Amino acid sequence: MSSRRSRSRRSSNSSRITEEQIVELVSKLQDLLPEARSRSSERVSASRVLQDTCNYIRDLQQEVDDLSERLADMLASTEMTSAQAAIIRSLLM
Amino acid sequence: MASVPSSSSSSPSQPKTRKKPGQNSSPAPPPQTKWRTGTQERLYSRRLVDALRATRDRTQVQESVGSRAVKEAADSALALTARGQSRWSRAILFGRNSCRRKLLVKAGGKIRRHRRKQHGVPPVAAVAAEPGVLKEQKVKERLRKLGRLVPGCRKLPAATLLEEAADYVAALELQVRTMRALADALSAAAVSAPEEEETKAVDPMAIAEQGS
Repeated sequence: MSSRRSRSRRSSNSSRITEEQIVELVSKLQDLLPEARSRSSERVSASRVLQDTCNYIRDLQQEVDDLSERLADMLASTEMTSAQAAIIRSLLM
Repeated sequence: MASVPSSSSSSPSQPKTRKKPGQNSSPAPPPQTKWRTGTQERLYSRRLVDALRATRDRTQVQESVGSRAVKEAADSALALTARGQSRWSRAILFGRNSCRRKLLVKAGGKIRRHRRKQHGVPPVAAVAAEPGVLKEQKVKERLRKLGRLVPGCRKLPAATLLEEAADYVAALELQVRTMRALADALSAAAVSAPEEEETKAVDPMAIAEQGS
Protein backbone atom coordinates (compact mmCIF):
# COMPACT_ATOMS: atom_id res chain seq x y z
CA MET A 1 0.00 0.00 0.00
CA SER A 2 2.73 2.49 0.94
CA SER A 3 4.51 1.90 -2.36
CA ARG A 4 1.33 2.78 -4.22
CA ARG A 5 1.03 6.01 -2.25
CA SER A 6 4.61 7.10 -2.95
CA ARG A 7 4.11 6.30 -6.59
CA SER A 8 1.18 8.66 -6.82
CA ARG A 9 3.21 11.30 -5.00
CA ARG A 10 5.90 11.02 -7.65
CA SER A 11 3.38 11.09 -10.43
CA SER A 12 1.90 14.36 -9.26
CA ASN A 13 5.32 15.96 -9.77
CA SER A 14 6.66 14.33 -12.93
CA SER A 15 4.17 12.33 -15.04
CA ARG A 16 1.16 14.04 -13.54
CA ILE A 17 -2.36 12.86 -13.95
CA THR A 18 -3.26 14.45 -17.23
CA GLU A 19 -6.39 16.37 -17.96
CA GLU A 20 -7.15 13.85 -20.68
CA GLN A 21 -7.10 10.98 -18.23
CA ILE A 22 -9.52 12.72 -15.94
CA VAL A 23 -11.81 13.68 -18.78
CA GLU A 24 -11.83 10.14 -20.05
CA LEU A 25 -12.67 8.73 -16.63
CA VAL A 26 -15.44 11.26 -16.22
CA SER A 27 -16.94 10.36 -19.56
CA LYS A 28 -16.73 6.67 -18.69
CA LEU A 29 -18.64 7.45 -15.54
CA GLN A 30 -21.12 9.47 -17.53
CA ASP A 31 -21.81 6.50 -19.77
CA LEU A 32 -22.78 4.43 -16.77
CA LEU A 33 -25.39 6.85 -15.60
CA PRO A 34 -29.00 6.39 -16.63
CA GLU A 35 -29.00 9.88 -18.12
CA ALA A 36 -26.57 8.60 -20.71
CA ARG A 37 -29.43 7.10 -22.62
CA SER A 38 -31.00 10.46 -23.43
CA ARG A 39 -27.81 12.47 -23.61
CA SER A 40 -25.74 10.05 -25.66
CA SER A 41 -22.64 11.79 -26.95
CA GLU A 42 -23.00 15.35 -25.75
CA ARG A 43 -20.30 16.11 -23.22
CA VAL A 44 -21.59 17.32 -19.90
CA SER A 45 -19.56 19.32 -17.41
CA ALA A 46 -17.53 17.28 -14.95
CA SER A 47 -19.25 18.76 -11.95
CA ARG A 48 -22.63 17.81 -13.40
CA VAL A 49 -21.50 14.23 -13.97
CA LEU A 50 -20.19 14.02 -10.44
CA GLN A 51 -23.41 15.41 -9.08
CA ASP A 52 -25.47 12.94 -11.08
CA THR A 53 -23.21 10.13 -9.96
CA CYS A 54 -23.63 11.03 -6.31
CA ASN A 55 -27.39 11.15 -6.72
CA TYR A 56 -27.45 7.89 -8.61
CA ILE A 57 -25.33 6.09 -6.02
CA ARG A 58 -27.55 7.39 -3.28
CA ASP A 59 -30.66 6.25 -5.15
CA LEU A 60 -29.19 2.81 -5.71
CA GLN A 61 -28.24 2.46 -2.08
CA GLN A 62 -31.72 3.49 -1.08
CA GLU A 63 -33.17 0.85 -3.38
CA VAL A 64 -30.90 -1.73 -1.81
CA ASP A 65 -32.21 -0.73 1.60
CA ASP A 66 -35.82 -1.05 0.47
CA LEU A 67 -35.19 -4.39 -1.15
CA SER A 68 -33.40 -5.56 1.96
CA GLU A 69 -36.50 -4.80 3.94
CA ARG A 70 -38.67 -6.73 1.54
CA LEU A 71 -36.35 -9.69 1.56
CA ALA A 72 -36.07 -9.61 5.33
CA ASP A 73 -39.84 -9.81 5.65
CA MET A 74 -40.02 -12.69 3.23
CA LEU A 75 -37.16 -14.59 4.80
CA ALA A 76 -39.03 -14.55 8.07
CA SER A 77 -41.52 -17.00 6.69
CA THR A 78 -40.19 -20.51 6.58
CA GLU A 79 -43.09 -22.05 4.77
CA MET A 80 -43.16 -22.09 1.08
CA THR A 81 -45.19 -23.62 -1.67
CA SER A 82 -43.72 -25.85 -4.26
CA ALA A 83 -44.39 -23.16 -6.85
CA GLN A 84 -42.11 -20.79 -5.02
CA ALA A 85 -39.44 -23.45 -4.82
CA ALA A 86 -39.65 -24.03 -8.57
CA ILE A 87 -39.35 -20.36 -9.26
CA ILE A 88 -36.32 -19.91 -7.07
CA ARG A 89 -34.69 -22.88 -8.70
CA SER A 90 -35.29 -21.53 -12.17
CA LEU A 91 -34.10 -18.09 -11.16
CA LEU A 92 -30.78 -19.40 -10.03
CA MET A 93 -30.02 -21.67 -12.96
CA MET B 1 -27.32 0.87 -23.25
CA ALA B 2 -28.46 -0.14 -19.78
CA SER B 3 -30.87 -2.94 -20.54
CA VAL B 4 -32.63 -4.23 -17.46
CA PRO B 5 -33.62 -7.88 -17.72
CA SER B 6 -37.28 -8.58 -17.02
CA SER B 7 -37.75 -9.44 -13.42
CA SER B 8 -41.21 -10.98 -13.79
CA SER B 9 -41.57 -14.46 -12.43
CA SER B 10 -42.82 -15.78 -15.77
CA SER B 11 -39.44 -15.52 -17.42
CA PRO B 12 -37.81 -18.81 -16.58
CA SER B 13 -34.30 -18.31 -17.83
CA GLN B 14 -31.56 -15.98 -16.74
CA PRO B 15 -30.65 -13.17 -19.12
CA LYS B 16 -28.48 -14.48 -21.92
CA THR B 17 -24.83 -14.78 -21.08
CA ARG B 18 -23.23 -11.69 -22.48
CA LYS B 19 -19.64 -12.51 -23.27
CA LYS B 20 -17.15 -9.83 -22.42
CA PRO B 21 -15.62 -8.36 -25.58
CA GLY B 22 -12.12 -9.73 -26.08
CA GLN B 23 -10.08 -6.88 -24.69
CA ASN B 24 -6.57 -8.21 -24.44
CA SER B 25 -5.01 -4.78 -24.82
CA SER B 26 -6.76 -3.02 -21.93
CA PRO B 27 -5.87 -4.02 -18.38
CA ALA B 28 -9.42 -4.51 -17.12
CA PRO B 29 -12.83 -4.69 -18.79
CA PRO B 30 -14.91 -1.53 -18.39
CA PRO B 31 -17.40 -1.62 -15.53
CA GLN B 32 -20.52 -1.88 -17.61
CA THR B 33 -19.47 -5.05 -19.38
CA LYS B 34 -17.69 -6.51 -16.40
CA TRP B 35 -20.71 -6.38 -14.14
CA ARG B 36 -23.34 -7.32 -16.65
CA THR B 37 -22.26 -10.74 -17.84
CA GLY B 38 -24.61 -13.59 -17.12
CA THR B 39 -21.81 -15.27 -15.19
CA GLN B 40 -21.53 -12.39 -12.78
CA GLU B 41 -25.27 -12.40 -12.24
CA ARG B 42 -25.36 -16.07 -11.49
CA LEU B 43 -22.30 -15.80 -9.27
CA TYR B 44 -23.77 -12.98 -7.32
CA SER B 45 -27.22 -14.46 -6.95
CA ARG B 46 -25.70 -17.67 -5.72
CA ARG B 47 -23.57 -15.81 -3.18
CA LEU B 48 -26.51 -13.70 -2.16
CA VAL B 49 -28.69 -16.68 -1.42
CA ASP B 50 -25.88 -18.30 0.57
CA ALA B 51 -25.34 -15.16 2.58
CA LEU B 52 -29.04 -14.69 3.23
CA ARG B 53 -29.40 -18.26 4.35
CA ALA B 54 -26.45 -17.93 6.71
CA THR B 55 -27.91 -14.73 8.07
CA ARG B 56 -31.24 -16.37 8.66
CA ASP B 57 -29.64 -19.33 10.37
CA ARG B 58 -27.64 -17.07 12.66
CA THR B 59 -30.72 -15.19 13.80
CA GLN B 60 -32.33 -16.27 17.06
CA VAL B 61 -35.61 -18.09 16.93
CA GLN B 62 -37.64 -15.25 18.43
CA GLU B 63 -36.14 -12.45 16.36
CA SER B 64 -36.85 -11.92 12.73
CA VAL B 65 -34.15 -11.26 10.20
CA GLY B 66 -33.52 -7.50 10.24
CA SER B 67 -33.29 -5.53 7.06
CA ARG B 68 -29.88 -4.25 8.00
CA ALA B 69 -28.58 -7.80 8.32
CA VAL B 70 -29.94 -8.54 4.86
CA LYS B 71 -28.29 -5.45 3.44
CA GLU B 72 -24.96 -6.29 5.03
CA ALA B 73 -25.17 -9.82 3.71
CA ALA B 74 -25.96 -8.50 0.26
CA ASP B 75 -23.09 -6.02 0.39
CA SER B 76 -20.64 -8.66 1.55
CA ALA B 77 -21.78 -10.98 -1.20
CA LEU B 78 -21.33 -8.19 -3.71
CA ALA B 79 -17.86 -7.37 -2.43
CA LEU B 80 -16.91 -11.04 -2.64
CA THR B 81 -18.08 -11.19 -6.23
CA ALA B 82 -15.71 -8.34 -6.96
CA ARG B 83 -12.89 -10.65 -5.89
CA GLY B 84 -11.24 -7.89 -3.93
CA GLN B 85 -10.04 -6.20 -7.07
CA SER B 86 -11.45 -2.84 -6.14
CA ARG B 87 -10.85 -0.71 -3.10
CA TRP B 88 -14.50 -0.40 -2.16
CA SER B 89 -14.92 -4.16 -2.09
CA ARG B 90 -11.90 -4.57 0.15
CA ALA B 91 -13.19 -1.84 2.41
CA ILE B 92 -16.52 -3.63 2.79
CA LEU B 93 -14.93 -7.00 3.49
CA PHE B 94 -12.31 -5.69 5.89
CA GLY B 95 -14.83 -3.52 7.60
CA ARG B 96 -16.73 -6.59 8.77
CA ASN B 97 -13.69 -8.08 10.42
CA SER B 98 -12.80 -5.86 13.34
CA CYS B 99 -9.26 -7.12 13.95
CA ARG B 100 -8.30 -6.46 10.35
CA ARG B 101 -9.15 -2.85 10.87
CA LYS B 102 -6.29 -2.55 13.34
CA LEU B 103 -3.93 -3.80 10.67
CA LEU B 104 -5.23 -1.30 8.16
CA VAL B 105 -5.00 1.57 10.62
CA LYS B 106 -1.41 0.66 11.35
CA ALA B 107 -0.60 0.72 7.66
CA GLY B 108 -2.52 3.95 7.30
CA GLY B 109 -0.51 5.51 10.11
CA LYS B 110 2.71 4.73 8.34
CA ILE B 111 1.47 6.20 5.12
CA ARG B 112 0.25 9.35 6.80
CA ARG B 113 3.72 9.93 8.15
CA HIS B 114 5.11 9.91 4.63
CA ARG B 115 2.49 12.37 3.48
CA ARG B 116 3.33 14.81 6.22
CA LYS B 117 6.93 14.80 5.13
CA GLN B 118 5.89 15.70 1.61
CA HIS B 119 3.81 18.57 2.94
CA GLY B 120 6.98 20.64 2.94
CA VAL B 121 6.59 21.01 -0.81
CA PRO B 122 5.14 24.45 -1.60
CA PRO B 123 1.44 24.22 -2.44
CA VAL B 124 1.88 26.26 -5.61
CA ALA B 125 3.64 23.40 -7.35
CA ALA B 126 0.85 21.00 -6.35
CA VAL B 127 -1.88 23.23 -7.74
CA ALA B 128 -0.05 23.77 -11.00
CA ALA B 129 0.24 20.01 -11.49
CA GLU B 130 -3.52 19.46 -11.37
CA PRO B 131 -5.46 19.35 -14.59
CA GLY B 132 -7.70 22.29 -15.36
CA VAL B 133 -11.07 20.83 -14.49
CA LEU B 134 -9.95 19.76 -11.02
CA LYS B 135 -9.07 23.27 -9.93
CA GLU B 136 -12.71 24.33 -9.80
CA GLN B 137 -14.15 24.49 -6.34
CA LYS B 138 -17.41 22.86 -7.38
CA VAL B 139 -15.66 19.84 -8.79
CA LYS B 140 -13.55 19.48 -5.68
CA GLU B 141 -16.61 19.56 -3.44
CA ARG B 142 -18.43 16.98 -5.53
CA LEU B 143 -15.39 14.74 -5.58
CA ARG B 144 -15.32 14.87 -1.83
CA LYS B 145 -19.00 14.00 -1.67
CA LEU B 146 -18.39 11.07 -3.97
CA GLY B 147 -15.54 9.91 -1.80
CA ARG B 148 -17.86 9.76 1.16
CA LEU B 149 -20.44 7.67 -0.70
CA VAL B 150 -18.14 4.98 -2.01
CA PRO B 151 -16.90 2.81 0.84
CA GLY B 152 -13.23 3.08 1.61
CA CYS B 153 -12.52 5.89 -0.80
CA ARG B 154 -12.43 9.03 1.26
CA LYS B 155 -8.88 10.06 0.64
CA LEU B 156 -8.14 8.81 -2.82
CA PRO B 157 -6.71 10.93 -5.63
CA ALA B 158 -9.26 11.99 -8.19
CA ALA B 159 -8.44 9.51 -10.93
CA THR B 160 -8.58 6.50 -8.63
CA LEU B 161 -11.76 7.73 -7.03
CA LEU B 162 -13.43 8.05 -10.43
CA GLU B 163 -12.44 4.52 -11.34
CA GLU B 164 -13.70 3.14 -8.05
CA ALA B 165 -16.94 5.05 -8.42
CA ALA B 166 -17.56 3.67 -11.89
CA ASP B 167 -16.98 0.11 -10.71
CA TYR B 168 -19.13 0.68 -7.63
CA VAL B 169 -22.04 2.05 -9.66
CA ALA B 170 -22.01 -0.94 -11.99
CA ALA B 171 -21.82 -3.33 -9.05
CA LEU B 172 -24.68 -1.59 -7.27
CA GLU B 173 -26.80 -1.94 -10.38
CA LEU B 174 -26.12 -5.67 -10.35
CA GLN B 175 -27.04 -5.83 -6.70
CA VAL B 176 -30.32 -4.02 -7.23
CA ARG B 177 -31.22 -6.14 -10.24
CA THR B 178 -30.53 -9.39 -8.44
CA MET B 179 -32.25 -8.48 -5.22
CA ARG B 180 -35.28 -7.20 -7.04
CA ALA B 181 -35.51 -10.36 -9.12
CA LEU B 182 -35.26 -12.51 -6.02
CA ALA B 183 -37.81 -10.46 -4.09
CA ASP B 184 -40.23 -10.35 -7.01
CA ALA B 185 -39.96 -14.07 -7.54
CA LEU B 186 -40.62 -14.80 -3.89
CA SER B 187 -43.54 -12.43 -3.58
CA ALA B 188 -45.10 -13.43 -6.89
CA ALA B 189 -45.06 -17.04 -5.81
CA ALA B 190 -46.59 -16.12 -2.48
CA VAL B 191 -49.42 -14.26 -4.20
CA SER B 192 -50.14 -16.63 -7.04
CA ALA B 193 -50.52 -19.83 -5.06
CA PRO B 194 -52.94 -19.18 -2.22
CA GLU B 195 -54.76 -22.50 -2.49
CA GLU B 196 -51.66 -24.55 -2.27
CA GLU B 197 -51.28 -24.18 1.47
CA GLU B 198 -48.70 -26.86 1.85
CA THR B 199 -48.75 -29.24 4.75
CA LYS B 200 -45.05 -29.72 4.57
CA ALA B 201 -43.07 -26.58 5.24
CA VAL B 202 -40.40 -26.17 2.65
CA ASP B 203 -37.43 -24.04 3.57
CA PRO B 204 -36.93 -21.52 0.77
CA MET B 205 -33.21 -21.19 1.29
CA ALA B 206 -32.69 -24.94 1.35
CA ILE B 207 -34.42 -25.28 -1.98
CA ALA B 208 -32.38 -22.44 -3.40
CA GLU B 209 -29.22 -24.07 -2.12
CA GLN B 210 -30.08 -27.45 -3.63
CA GLY B 211 -31.37 -26.03 -6.86
CA SER B 212 -28.29 -23.96 -7.78
